[in-house]
Amino acid sequence: MSKAVAAYDPAVDAPAHHHPIFDYDSGPPVDRGKFAIWLFLATEIMFFTGLIGTYLVLRTGAPSWPNPAERLAVDITAFNTFVLIVSSWTVVRALMAIQKGDQGGLVKWLGLSILLGAFFVGVQAYEYLELIKHGALPNQDLFWSTFYSMTGFHGLHVIVGVIWLIVLWIGAVRGKFSAENCVAIELGGLYWHFVDLVWVLLFTLVYLM
Amino acid sequence: MAEAHFNANKIFITLFILTAVEVAWGSLVPYEMKPALWGGLLIFAFWKGILIFQYFMHMKFEGWIVKCLIAPTPILILIVYFALLPDVALNDDTLYQVGDQLDPENGEVVEIGKGSRNLVLHAGSEEDGGH
Repeated sequence: MSKAVAAYDPAVDAPAHHHPIFDYDSGPPVDRGKFAIWLFLATEIMFFTGLIGTYLVLRTGAPSWPNPAERLAVDITAFNTFVLIVSSWTVVRALMAIQKGDQGGLVKWLGLSILLGAFFVGVQAYEYLELIKHGALPNQDLFWSTFYSMTGFHGLHVIVGVIWLIVLWIGAVRGKFSAENCVAIELGGLYWHFVDLVWVLLFTLVYLM
Repeated sequence: MAEAHFNANKIFITLFILTAVEVAWGSLVPYEMKPALWGGLLIFAFWKGILIFQYFMHMKFEGWIVKCLIAPTPILILIVYFALLPDVALNDDTLYQVGDQLDPENGEVVEIGKGSRNLVLHAGSEEDGGH
């Protein structure tokens, strides 16, 4: 028996777990959640690009286009736009609060954001009901079909955003977040700001132009 | 996480003022003056969008990975809109205008302004009557 074979010790030379252990992270140098949410937002941007592009083609191709101010309640929607901008600011305040370790502030600002988001959806639902009551249905003409498509898809995104904020708020009430563990708040906030950003463009295109 | 050092209140007030000015612009500039109306509105909308994107979404404070992740999007948007440009610019040369409808009874195209909308409404009312 050679010396090498005699020195063979299975416990040392062939351990059960012999995966290599690296001293570096093989993932991208950014939080995985943030990486995922930005990828998702990129697809969302392209989704709304398609909607807005279709709107522009249909609008410029139509022989005439009604003045939106004659068909829509611009003043009410302008107020609703203010509401959404305020909600974006309150989400920023919520993130700032938890980054300082202020859990009470997080609960307060997230709660306010949820109320503002729900108010926005409520006003939009009211607007739809009033329009439908007056016979403004999506199949009436191009103006209404594009109006309902764009604002409807945005409204669905706001509803998803409100649900997301509610989930975060429940976590905040239970004390799940801290200054060191607040990425989830940042990710929810990113989605909410994106919804706000899209509305800024849609409000201009659909209601003012 | 990106450390964002900015005055959120200042950005918020700027957004608030820009929205007010934008709404005033949309109300005061006559609808017929489209270059002025559209130009002004788009400037305000993009200004606000950039503020939200840069500050509220922290893009200004992100590292190169996140910036690279989102960088293809504006390029793709430009490609989409350039691809759509012929439909916008050459719509005088298209065979049928947006809004023309096919009459299902005789297979002829009814032009917009010559009853195409009535055709749709008529078809709808017939369906309603049938139920």
